[in-house]
Amino acid sequence: MTRASEQAAVEGGRPRQIVAFGGGGFSMEAGNPLLDEYVLGLAALRAGRRRPRVCFLPTASGDADHYVVRFYRHFPASRCEPSHVSLFRRDCGTDDVRAHLLAQDLVYVGGGSVICLMGVLRAHRLDVALREAWEAGVVLCGLSAGSLCWFEEAMTGYHGASRPVEGIGLIAGSNAVHYDKEPHRRPAYQLAIGGGMPAGYAVEDGAALHFESGSLARVVSSRPSARAYRVEAVGDEVVELPLPVEYLGAPRDVAPALAA
Amino acid sequence: MGGGGFTMEPGNPALDDYVRTLAPAREPRICLLPTAGGDSEDQIRRFHAAFGDQLCEPTHVSLFRLGSRPVPLREHLLGQDVIYVGGGSMVNLLALWRAHGVDEILREAWQGGIVLAGLSAGSMCWFEYGVTRSVGRPALTGGLGFLPGSNSVHYDGEPERRPFYLDAVARGAAPAGWGVDDGAGLLFRGTRLAEVVASRPHARAYRVHAVAGAAVEEAIEPRLLMARPHADPLAPLAVEELRALHVAQRGFRRG
Repeated sequence: MTRASEQAAVEGGRPRQIVAFGGGGFSMEAGNPLLDEYVLGLAALRAGRRRPRVCFLPTASGDADHYVVRFYRHFPASRCEPSHVSLFRRDCGTDDVRAHLLAQDLVYVGGGSVICLMGVLRAHRLDVALREAWEAGVVLCGLSAGSLCWFEEAMTGYHGASRPVEGIGLIAGSNAVHYDKEPHRRPAYQLAIGGGMPAGYAVEDGAALHFESGSLARVVSSRPSARAYRVEAVGDEVVELPLPVEYLGAPRDVAPALAA
Repeated sequence: MGGGGFTMEPGNPALDDYVRTLAPAREPRICLLPTAGGDSEDQIRRFHAAFGDQLCEPTHVSLFRLGSRPVPLREHLLGQDVIYVGGGSMVNLLALWRAHGVDEILREAWQGGIVLAGLSAGSMCWFEYGVTRSVGRPALTGGLGFLPGSNSVHYDGEPERRPFYLDAVARGAAPAGWGVDDGAGLLFRGTRLAEVVASRPHARAYRVHAVAGAAVEEAIEPRLLMARPHADPLAPLAVEELRALHVAQRGFRRG
């Protein structure tokens, strides 16, 4: 048990959990369910039952129909109680959406544009609702934009260059995703950190950061080669520190997640 | 437009033709902003199907896909003759435009004489206030405020909007404005209403204002637009050829 989760246990609260994927899960890794199984395992532990409540937020994609369909295909009713909230086709009030999110065991935020995601979440005050859900112990996860949104600052790639975007700020520091995918992301993130962006985490596709009560508890991956780094400024230099990664496909690692 | 155009009246291009011909250019550049619909592929596809074989140069800008398909927003939008805003969620539309600075670009576009058009959320966004259903039940929400007053769309098509709007105007929660039926459109030159047009015989627009604490509706008889024959069966090849030419030109320009 980490210090943070011990503290939460001592205080009688539930650990506040976030799993931030650099890229991966059902929308990016067809045929590789390891990251999705991992978060489903955490949700089942939280729920204390086999079929946890899982809500998908496809906001960052503009609520793309095909994305919603794929979520239900990969999170079937046999494994969980799936639902989704569409903020482009809403038929209920903010209080109802807030209550729905608070009643979940896992909220899964899809990928897309983090600028669009943050704009729409704030317009519906769901940034506040997600913070409340987190404080109540609902497991939060997501990939790409759905990872960036949990941090104070997010790196995003536009016009070939990246620029910082303010996130919900549940996790201190900054985040960069798809770190292995496009060659400009690494120098752009390091330049930003050197230029005063708070230190943070760079995460490759297939790797995920698991935070408990705001502190990094472990890094897991769905691919043996996926890496994650702590990136910070030390004096005039930007240092990239590789983090230990647990590959979820190794037999000993799969067991705890599936057993949940 | 209170509702209409290619997304709502697929067989009746009268309002879209009207919008297209407001631009003085012979072959106007017309850009769809499908933001309010979450940049839905369906809306984008229908736009290109509707405008692809017309005398114009259609493009669209997807704010959700700027990361994978970068567009110089200001340059592209200010280079248009017509900017056409699709329907969807008005709350999300304004939030997304503000997040990307599109609100300021559109003000420049409007001041520079670019025709701004749209239906539903894409109509109400130009006013100070609109009646949105983005949060479930009808609610008032702020727009860009280029046009003074308020606007409620789908006045006949979504009956729950009308009593809400009348009450909001009566109470003074919303300034006086216009209730617009599906198929009707208001043309503003500057901030003055210049003309009311319609693509269907019974579509109406209403001036709604408060008199002694009660809302008063004054119906405005629109000019009925002549519908163009939807497809010319004698020239399918020419249409195909023109469409192919447009595609080739666009591909070339994007280089």
